[in-house]
Amino acid sequence: MKKPGVMVGEVYRNLFRKRATILYPFKEKDKVHLPDGYRGRIEFYRDKCIGCQICSRVCPVKAINIIEDERGKRPVFMIYRCIYCEQCAESCPTKAIKLTKVFENIAFEKEKLFVR
Amino acid sequence: MIEILLKFIEIIVFPGFIFIGLLSLFYEWIDRKFYAKLQNRVGPLYAGPHGILQPLADFIKLLSKEDIVPEAADKILFTMMPIIFFSLSLLITLNLPITSIHGIISFKGDLIFLVAMLTIISIVVYVSGEVSTSRFATIGAERAILQLLGYEIPFMLSLISIAISSNSITLSEIVLAQKNIWYIFTPNIIAFIIFLITGQAELERIPFDIPEAEQEIVAGWIVEYSGKKLALFRFGRDIETLFIAGLGATLFLGGPLGPVIPGLETLLYTIYFIIKSIFILLILTTIRAIFARLRIDQVLSISWKYFIPLSLIQLLIVRVIY
Amino acid sequence: MGFIIPIGPQHPVHPEPLLMKFNVEGEKVVGVDINISYTHRGIEKAMEYRTYLQGIYLAERICGICNAAHTTCYCQNIEQLLGKEPPPRGNYLRLINEEMGRIHSHLLWLGLAAHQIGFDTFFMYVWRDREKVLDLIELMTGNRVITSYNTIGGVRRDITPTIIEKIRKNLDFLEKRTKYYKKLVNEEPTVLMRTQNVGILKPSEAVNLYAVGPVLRASGIKHDIRADDPYGVHDEVPFNVITYDTCDVYARILVRIDEVLESINMIRYCLDHLPSGSFKLRMPIIIRPPKGESISRVEAPRGELLHYVISDGGIKPYRYKVRTPTLANIPATAKMLTSRGDYEVYIADIPIIFGSIDPCICCTGRVLFIDIEKNRRWIWGYDELVRYSNKRFERHD
Repeated sequence: MKKPGVMVGEVYRNLFRKRATILYPFKEKDKVHLPDGYRGRIEFYRDKCIGCQICSRVCPVKAINIIEDERGKRPVFMIYRCIYCEQCAESCPTKAIKLTKVFENIAFEKEKLFVR
Repeated sequence: MIEILLKFIEIIVFPGFIFIGLLSLFYEWIDRKFYAKLQNRVGPLYAGPHGILQPLADFIKLLSKEDIVPEAADKILFTMMPIIFFSLSLLITLNLPITSIHGIISFKGDLIFLVAMLTIISIVVYVSGEVSTSRFATIGAERAILQLLGYEIPFMLSLISIAISSNSITLSEIVLAQKNIWYIFTPNIIAFIIFLITGQAELERIPFDIPEAEQEIVAGWIVEYSGKKLALFRFGRDIETLFIAGLGATLFLGGPLGPVIPGLETLLYTIYFIIKSIFILLILTTIRAIFARLRIDQVLSISWKYFIPLSLIQLLIVRVIY
Repeated sequence: MGFIIPIGPQHPVHPEPLLMKFNVEGEKVVGVDINISYTHRGIEKAMEYRTYLQGIYLAERICGICNAAHTTCYCQNIEQLLGKEPPPRGNYLRLINEEMGRIHSHLLWLGLAAHQIGFDTFFMYVWRDREKVLDLIELMTGNRVITSYNTIGGVRRDITPTIIEKIRKNLDFLEKRTKYYKKLVNEEPTVLMRTQNVGILKPSEAVNLYAVGPVLRASGIKHDIRADDPYGVHDEVPFNVITYDTCDVYARILVRIDEVLESINMIRYCLDHLPSGSFKLRMPIIIRPPKGESISRVEAPRGELLHYVISDGGIKPYRYKVRTPTLANIPATAKMLTSRGDYEVYIADIPIIFGSIDPCICCTGRVLFIDIEKNRRWIWGYDELVRYSNKRFERHD
């Protein structure tokens, strides 16, 4: 019969350790740190785009629409469909698309969920 | 006339129903917070300062939910069971010596009365499970009675060894017999350990929460109750926790005795009682944190193979010494 | 007597829906009937409407936790069709990603198994330590669970020396904690009482019912795709195939804990011997493999995973078939859950026995129609299922 209660020492040592919970979002909003290369919300640089439409063809969920403006064809990203896979940024030949570290992507108005 | 009014206030307000109710909610907060700290997390945090109003918030929320009665259940019994459970728990807690050496209700032989009431509470659990006519409830109720067969005899034997050491079966005389030394420092230590473990089985907490196993039978005998009836069951369970902790403090740690200033006796006795019962509660919470849940046949086999012989040995030791 | 208890589609302990009906006498289980068709998402049909590059992201979401295994299998399949091999650095990085996924999956399972026997403290500690693995995965690939690290021809990102340094430090911490958990499982009497001699699957039954993964290895049979049919660089990286022969839930827990320790050693070996060079091949934007078919097998954390593709020369696959390991373990589970002879199963054992095969029911539901007279087999996609259900539940007013 083995001795019961093997965990007692570990459990009482944890009484004096700092808690493992981060009190996000009400109290400790700044303690969440994300590494570089985290895949968040899309950012688009208009001056680098050449209108090749590769991003729209590669996107797995059809989250990119192509519209025409005064300088030629350009994409419009729908954030509510995006799955943050980074395939558009990887396939873009001029590196006009970048993924930032913003991860809180909910809004009350639909207009905030487009990147133009 | 004044005495009747004072007695009335004593039963209802202090140290009667309202005081016991609020104290049991406070104990549930301590239990949840300590359990969370042992697991390196936070516990209740936002309802009141440090989450101290969380059990009260849970109780009020449950009172406002919808009350569903299954079609095939016996309506009268189904409604009466939570009320009986709750009132029995309150009744037995009124016997504890909180503000003085006598409880509010105190008569010769009240230790036997308390044990009988605890058995009736287990029978109430069985009837609540059976009257719900749901498969999970039937299994939970049957497991509750099997568990009663396991833990009741060691529980009573440990209480009997205390009764033999103090030569009486009345709670106030047991408290008085500890004036010089508390029973936990005498050779009654085995009875203390068995009392803690079987108390945990009485309260249906891990490692003995088999009738209410969440993972297997989805809350067991309590599964069909909702709304006000569930609120009364949970509140009754909290009061029973206060009772077991208080009984442990009375029988082994000397009850409300301690150094007193004459004149402030009521206040100091209450404070000593609360501190001692919180100590027992913290030990019960630690037991809850370090074990896995047992199976029902393993509970019975452990209980009859190890606990009963140990408590009989304890009885022999006490009979020889005292 | 014959009292039927449903452990039904909605249950507090099973996170995915399936229906098990147990025939019970008192506390003993006498018979079981399993129904797994509650989650069918039509992924195989959806693959036929997406190009090969877009299909990676669909294959990844078949199972969130084994996503490294699914993408490795898919990319290997398409590379076999094209006749190309990723460069050596790409293969090593793929192995590191796959083994990190394995550590993550086994630690998650260990916490869930502890929760199913009622040991909540153990559950909380294991999931606190699992956060370190998730931080490492996030550092390396950019996201915590769905990593999207593999692509056709290699991997998508390179690894820098700072990341390697952090990985080594955290692996030491993880090894220490895993050894403590192994000691805890071996020494705590309540855990031993709940897991020993429970859920027995004899070796002959395991082979006859085609069990896969740790379930097979805990019955003493030495079978692991990484050793028997090596893919990638598994023939260069040394490791042991872990078997135990007590055939019960206790053996399965120990097999998975030991596999975590093996994975930690494999990652260390890869980091020491990482070759230099490019990490992916240069591929055209539209991938058009030649006509043909291909099969690839991978050792996912739950067992053997199989993907099969038929290509007709176009930009989208003609047919894609997935066979996940949990589907292969279900007949063995039905055998484990019935009492036979001296061996008795109680109701209290049901969650831990079912949890010990590491069920991932969301990958499992494949509806296959077999018409024996006409000797035809076919699968329904999303549109056909919607039409069928609308027709069936139409009101006849």
